[in-house]
Amino acid sequence: MRSADYMRLAATSLKFNKMRSFLTALGITVGIAAVVLLTSLGGGVQQYMLGQFTQFGAHIIAVNPGKTSTIGLSGAIISNVRPLTLDDAASLEQLNGVLTAVPIVQGNLPVETGNRSRWTMVLGVNHQAPQTWQFKIAQGQFLPDEPAEQARNLSVIGHKIKTELFPDTNPLGKRIRIGQERYRVIGVMEEKGQILGIDLDDAVYIPAHRGMALFNRESLMEVDILYRAGWNEDKLVKAIKKHLIRRHGAEDFTINTQSDMLGTLGSILNILTAVVAGLGSISLVVGGVGIFTIMSIAVNERIREIGLLRALGASRTQVTLMFLLEATFLSGLGGIAGMLTGLGVAWLLHAFIPALPVNVEWNYVLLAEVIAIFTGIIAGLLPARRAAALPPVDALRSE
Amino acid sequence: MRILDTLNFSQTTLRAYPARTALILLAMAIGVASVIILTSLGEGARNYVTGQFRSLGTHLLFILPGRSETTGGLPPLLGTSPRDLTIDDAIALKQSPAIRHVAPLLLGNAPVSHASREREVTVLGSSNEMQVIMTLEVIMGKFLPAENPRIGSPVCVLGDKLYHELFGNRNPIGEWVRIGSYRYRVIGVLGDKERAFGFDNSDAVIIPVASAQTMFNKTSLFRILVKASSADALDRAKEDVLRIIRQRHEGEDDVTVIRQDALIGTFDEILKILTWVVAGIAAISLIVAGILIMNVMLVSVSQRRAEIGLLKALGASTREVLQLFLSEALILSLAGGVIGLGIGFVGAQALQVWLPDFPVQVPLWSIIAALLVTLITGLAFGLIPARQAARLDPVIALAGK
Amino acid sequence: MIKLRDICRNFQVGDETVHALDQVTLDIAAGDYISVMGPSGSGKSTLLNMLGLLDMPNSGSYLFENKELTKLSEEKRARFRREKIGFIFQSFHLVPRLTAAGNLELPLMLTGMLPAKRRVLVQEALASVGLEDRAHHLPKQLSGGQQQRVAIARAMIMKPPLLLADEPTGNLDTHSGDEIIKTLEVLNQTGITLIVVTHDLELGQRAGRTIQMVDGKVVHDES
Repeated sequence: MRSADYMRLAATSLKFNKMRSFLTALGITVGIAAVVLLTSLGGGVQQYMLGQFTQFGAHIIAVNPGKTSTIGLSGAIISNVRPLTLDDAASLEQLNGVLTAVPIVQGNLPVETGNRSRWTMVLGVNHQAPQTWQFKIAQGQFLPDEPAEQARNLSVIGHKIKTELFPDTNPLGKRIRIGQERYRVIGVMEEKGQILGIDLDDAVYIPAHRGMALFNRESLMEVDILYRAGWNEDKLVKAIKKHLIRRHGAEDFTINTQSDMLGTLGSILNILTAVVAGLGSISLVVGGVGIFTIMSIAVNERIREIGLLRALGASRTQVTLMFLLEATFLSGLGGIAGMLTGLGVAWLLHAFIPALPVNVEWNYVLLAEVIAIFTGIIAGLLPARRAAALPPVDALRSE
Repeated sequence: MRILDTLNFSQTTLRAYPARTALILLAMAIGVASVIILTSLGEGARNYVTGQFRSLGTHLLFILPGRSETTGGLPPLLGTSPRDLTIDDAIALKQSPAIRHVAPLLLGNAPVSHASREREVTVLGSSNEMQVIMTLEVIMGKFLPAENPRIGSPVCVLGDKLYHELFGNRNPIGEWVRIGSYRYRVIGVLGDKERAFGFDNSDAVIIPVASAQTMFNKTSLFRILVKASSADALDRAKEDVLRIIRQRHEGEDDVTVIRQDALIGTFDEILKILTWVVAGIAAISLIVAGILIMNVMLVSVSQRRAEIGLLKALGASTREVLQLFLSEALILSLAGGVIGLGIGFVGAQALQVWLPDFPVQVPLWSIIAALLVTLITGLAFGLIPARQAARLDPVIALAGK
Repeated sequence: MIKLRDICRNFQVGDETVHALDQVTLDIAAGDYISVMGPSGSGKSTLLNMLGLLDMPNSGSYLFENKELTKLSEEKRARFRREKIGFIFQSFHLVPRLTAAGNLELPLMLTGMLPAKRRVLVQEALASVGLEDRAHHLPKQLSGGQQQRVAIARAMIMKPPLLLADEPTGNLDTHSGDEIIKTLEVLNQTGITLIVVTHDLELGQRAGRTIQMVDGKVVHDES
């Protein structure tokens, strides 16, 4: 029998019981729509998180003092017996492929001007920070390139600090007090928003050397290295390691690359998406039970017809295929409808709540379709085989 | 028709099609069981996490140096501030009658070595009272001595893992280890279940805080841990902490005080929402099961036209036919729900066996919610077929075809 | 054309064994018009099913054009039915979802014939039973006689040499029944072997050869 004829026969019997076919397919539709929608949301979260991470640019290697500790915080935040110095940072800049090396110290301090005061994040960095982190200056300029130890008391303020401390005036050239020291404002950063819960606009940038003095620290917390795009990251990591071991005599630092972090984050989020897809597929299983039930009923109702088909010379295989195809049709149609519904709802969600990240995971969509069709085959197999195995004489006689 | 008779009649028709009935029950049961199992997992996670926090005792305060005005974000875990949080600050907190225990905490990283073995671990500088506050268990020797925290004696307490790495199974008490460039005598070993807040104390060493200050050449503390005299005293303790620190820091509010129960509350809330979401996703399958009930009931109505016609001819009212079919749908959904509950309970028990540390528990609300949803599902999806049955014209119905 | 030798067919009903066919031996020549008569339970339907390969004997031999059929596999039997045998039933057995044309197409579909070719054959077959204007009607839109004519057209569409009819007029009024019988007899006159199982004495007598069955045995065979 030709495959087009199988399909036509299946379509005829599905059309004959429209409501029943619709409801059966609807079961699968709901399951597939759930999987497509949930994985789209999962994918959206994933893309959002990765986007947050790569906002600083993808070609950054971070060096922290101390080996990574068991508490999961790097040595930057807690104390360490082995410091990472401004000289270390400066020397890293000499390595091949390195564009910038930004020394970082960071802390929380009250920043005051006149009668206004605000606790904020103070970052000690150098002039290369905007290039490294892809930040833009809204007003004035960033910290100048001057010898680290002779850095003057200059500061660049974040957008929020400007609105909080200088709501009506131009902050350029004004003095602010950080800790016990006075700094001149020479620039304002462009608004950047929150990244991973840290408000980057609520920050003040000062020279790293001054920051270390302010926080009374002899070690930097981190050095961020920007390397040339296309440069081999693994090789560079090795070069940095070798260079610092030569300077320190031991490996008393930790190197984190952007790709390591993205990799870890990516795999966690992948698992999350898979779990969510798994939860959605519970509905798919129930939908499969639905197809099984309805196909069993259909076989029962059509016993006489099966007998006739056998009398007309249909083989068992042909009868099996006819019923199997009906089940597969149902699940396939349900799957496509589910996919469209899922995509539609995802699209609508995104249209109405733009903040909600949505990213369609086509892998999962395809997988869901395949599973839907497979569900149909599995659920249809038993009833179809039962239909084929009926003795034709009995089937013809059945009421 | 009496309710009991209605139910009985429905029951006989359901029994007439055992395979069909069994499949619907299966579909319903899968949905309910997954809701039950997933909520019990979520509830287990919640109990586990809050239990971890509570194991420290419930009336703790954490004092962090520095402050941030960005609200809604994380507390300022990172960075330092200009005015240090010092040992003297910690000692001063003891003035408050609302505060029972105070432990300064200084955190660092240093290599620890004994004989030829070396390991880079977390170094916790603290005081005797840390044991009470963090409810640490010492399995060998004793904890840091109760001494003036400004004086650091060269003694240390090893975490379980560090102990095994350095000493194997030998008795370490009285032995000397080198931490950084100083020598310390081992006076105690912690039990192997000491972790909370993500501090894994098993790969760490605890030394007196003053020794840690010397080692890291640093006076500023990482945290001060405070245990209030009672849960009721927590608010007073927090006020006192802020007042005392303000006095000592020239009128500046430059610390952040976090109540432990606030942290618990946050985690509790997050995990509760997570459990609801997961249960909600699983509950989608109940809708699918409902669709199946409706579908099969519709089939059943069209197959039983003659029977419905007969019932009407015998004097059954439209309402009675409606009730008859509705009760069939209800029996199906509720029986499926009850079977699902059973499977869910067994599944939760199995999980408990598999994850012995995890307090898997079927929450009461999920049982009630699951049964309620199955009931509603049965009613909602049974209604259309039941109405179809009730509206059948007896003459046409009896004529068959 | 057909040689049945010592065909036995037993059914187990509870503890008892029912001999539906008991050592039936029969020769049927091509072009025969045979009626099988007998009380209900005499085995005449079983004989028909046996001849149509819907049922298999417990013992005995069935030669069709000198080919032994009792050893055929399930799939080969299906193929044999498709090509060599046409069935007509008391209850017509039309697929309710398919139109008259769709029902006629079924056997052709099973062979994998192309749709264009099928349409031609279906049209011819419908015309031969005078129903060309009913091609797109569903069975329920046709009268009983029309339905049975569709069934006959379907049985003949593969041009089988053997046509088996089980009470073909049982569900029809006298007038329609007569028409059906005449249609079948016309087919017989074109050389097709026709075997009709019937209760109807008058109908039975029209056949060139009548076989009487009682308790699974052929008790009377008269040409």
